[in-house]
Order: sequence, then C-alpha cells, then structure tokens
Amino acid sequence: MYRLSRLRYVFPLGLFIALFLDGALSNVWSKLFFSYPYSMMSELVLLWLVLSYYFEENIEIPLIPFAALAGIVFDVYFTGILGLDIFLFPLIVELTKILSRYFSQSFLTIIMIFFIDILAFITLTYWAYSLVGITHMNVGDFLIYTLAPTLALNLVYFVVLYWPIQSIYTWALKTKKS
Amino acid sequence: MRKFFSNRRLVILVLILIACFGLMAGSVSMRNRRDTPPLIQQFGNDIVGFVDRIVALPVNAVQGGFSSVGQLMNTYSENRELKQQVTDLAQTKVRDQTLAKENKELKQELKLNKSLTDYNTITASVMMRTPSSWQKQLVINKGQSNGIKKNMPVMSGSGLIGRISEVNKTNSKVELLSNTGESANRFAVVIDGSNGRNVNGIITDYNASTDELVMGQVSSKAKLKKGTKVMTSGMGGVTPKGLYVGRVTRVGKDDYGLAQKVYIKPAADLNDVNIVTVAEPA
Repeated sequence: MYRLSRLRYVFPLGLFIALFLDGALSNVWSKLFFSYPYSMMSELVLLWLVLSYYFEENIEIPLIPFAALAGIVFDVYFTGILGLDIFLFPLIVELTKILSRYFSQSFLTIIMIFFIDILAFITLTYWAYSLVGITHMNVGDFLIYTLAPTLALNLVYFVVLYWPIQSIYTWALKTKKS
Repeated sequence: MRKFFSNRRLVILVLILIACFGLMAGSVSMRNRRDTPPLIQQFGNDIVGFVDRIVALPVNAVQGGFSSVGQLMNTYSENRELKQQVTDLAQTKVRDQTLAKENKELKQELKLNKSLTDYNTITASVMMRTPSSWQKQLVINKGQSNGIKKNMPVMSGSGLIGRISEVNKTNSKVELLSNTGESANRFAVVIDGSNGRNVNGIITDYNASTDELVMGQVSSKAKLKKGTKVMTSGMGGVTPKGLYVGRVTRVGKDDYGLAQKVYIKPAADLNDVNIVTVAEPA
C-alpha cells in the first residue's frame, strides 16, 4: 500500500528535511542551543520517525530501513564517526513500536513515549561515546547540562509540531483515497 | 519477556553491538591517523553535502534577514563609535603595509623565503553544526578541491576557532576549540610575559562552564598579566605563527601546585560562526 500512497514522496522528503534542519538549526541557533554550559541536541528526525509511526494509519511505511538510511547519513556527514546512529535510529523506532502496544493512542501517551525515546537515545549515545573516548563528561554534568535541556527542547518541538505534522499526514492520506 | 530474548534475538543483538563498537572504534582511530577518510565515505559526504545545501541555504538566508533587522536597531550608536576607529585603522593599515614590505625585503636580503608568519587564506561558509553535545563540529563548504588539508587552523571574525578534522572533496569538518575529546585540539600558543619573556605552551583543555581555554603545564615562572594577548606560536604542525587566540583571564596553579595553569578567553564567539577563514601555510 505504501507504494501507491502519496506518503511515498512525503515521508522520505520530510525525513531528510528534518535531518538537515537539525544541522542547520544547530548552527543558526547555536547561541541558544549551546549557551554555556548547557547544550541542547536537536532531534527533529526522531520526532518525524515517531510521529510517522503513529500517523501512518493502515499504510505501513518501511520505517526501519529509512531510519537506518537516515542513520548512515547522520554518521557519515554529521558526526564523521560511523556505526552508532545507523543502529540507534532503527532501535528507537523499534522501541516506539514495543511501547505503543501498551498504551492507547492519544497526544499525552505519544508525548510520553517520545520522552522515553529521546531519553533512551541520548543516554545510549552518551554511553557509547564515553566508551569509545569521544567524551569525558561525567554523569552529573551529562544529566544537568545535556539531558535535561535536550529533553526540554525536543518536547517543545513535539508540542509545536504535533498538529502540523498530523495535518500533513491527513492530507497525504486523504488524497490517496480519492 | 521469555520469548523476547530468544536465542536468535540475543545472537543478533550481540552481533549488532559488536558491529557498532567495531565501526566506531575503527572510524575514530582512522580519523586520527589518516589525512582523508576512505574514498567511499568521502563520496557519501560530497553527495549529502550537496543535498544539505538545498536545506541550509534558505535557513541561513532567513537567519541573515532576521539578524540584519536586529543590527539595524543599534546602527546609529555603533556607527558613531566605528567612525572614530576607522581613522585610527587607516593609519595602522598603512603602517602595516610598510612594515610588511620592509619585512619582505629584509627576508629577501637574508635569503629567507618563507617563515612561520606567512600564510594564505581560504574563505568558506558554514553549512551546519553537528547537533551533538559532545562533538562541537561544523561543516564548511570548501574541501580538498579548494586546497584544504587536515589540521589547518580555522579562524572566524576576531580569532582562532578550531582546526580542520576531516576533509572531503567539496566539504570539510571543523573541530571547534570547545571540543574536549581525546583527539581534541592541541594548539601551540605563546604569551608575552612581563620583562620580555615569552611563555610557550599548548592549549590542553576547555572549561565549558566559564567558556575559557586552559593552557596547562606552564613551567615558566614569568608573571602573566590579566588581559595579555595570546597567539599561536607556529611550533609543530601546520599552524602559522601569530593567529590571535584570545586574552588571559586568570592564572592559577595546576592540581599538584607545580606548574601554572593559564585561563584564556577566546577572542571569537564559538557559538556565532557563519563565515570562516582557513589559514594555509604558504
């Protein structure tokens, strides 16, 4: 069904716009995002992936391959360190799928699941980076200066972008039926 | 739950973990050793970089519009101050030209072709910043084909901001001074001490909570005044001499009380970078 719907164009386009916006916004708003000593990590791409899972209705978007593709681009172009996000992005999608089994679909449960996703994503990234030796930040600093601001930023993204993205999906699904 | 961790899933999980950390460790060490990443990675970078321009350009344009409106607000007072500086600057510029010419002639006399202070510049614009708390990294729109090489120093506005950490054909990555990984920046710097003694050293760390660079293990006993200018010393590697880094804010002892630790406020704002200049040794 995915191949016949308009989502075939809308989903990948949105995915890559979200991915590149992460980078562009981090530079344009770096005064706000990285004001000392705090740092916020913009994760629009995760927002797009999670909301796509909820809004796709009966069309099954191949989310895992696309998440892996976005992960490759993120690794090669954004960080230059291969091998982390290519696995983490699909993992977050899988986590969303597992969690959503236990909750009914509403704004509040989706925001809670998104919260857990971001928490898992940031913590795993931090853990992997400190194992490989990219960072030496201690856990206390990580919790206060990185995790808390990042969660705040991404929840703001969620609240602001939930309805626009929902309307994009209703538009894409409606044109399919006619 | 018993079903979830079946044997097959466990094996796949372990394999993924091994692949993940193997790739990460490999690419980190590759990055430290090689001048350019493998060809396939460069190719991917160039393609993605091209696509990124489509998104980054409008965003940067919008930001440019907003910031110019913001700047319009304090144009009047700024203009008054700047006018005074301009007259001063013209004199300095003429003097600078004369000195540069004299310097060149003297060098020819001594048959000294190139010294540490000679460098050419490449101007590039910033496409994006890595959305990460641990990698303070920018991507700029010039690469190998424009003559950029690994480890070249990068400046913006008033001073040094970092070095080139990865070079592709048409774009490259800049590691900012505020990065504190294992492979982070180690710029050799020099400070004019009192009684004419120079203090040499390297930038060893960055203090994020106060936005200060730390120059550790300074064994010299020379007294350093607050506000003294710090510049690169040109020793070791490709960094030319005399790039402005920042000013001394305070001097302390290191953890063992043996050596001095000098704190430096960077001259350039590391969080407001749009156009960068890459210095290429002549």
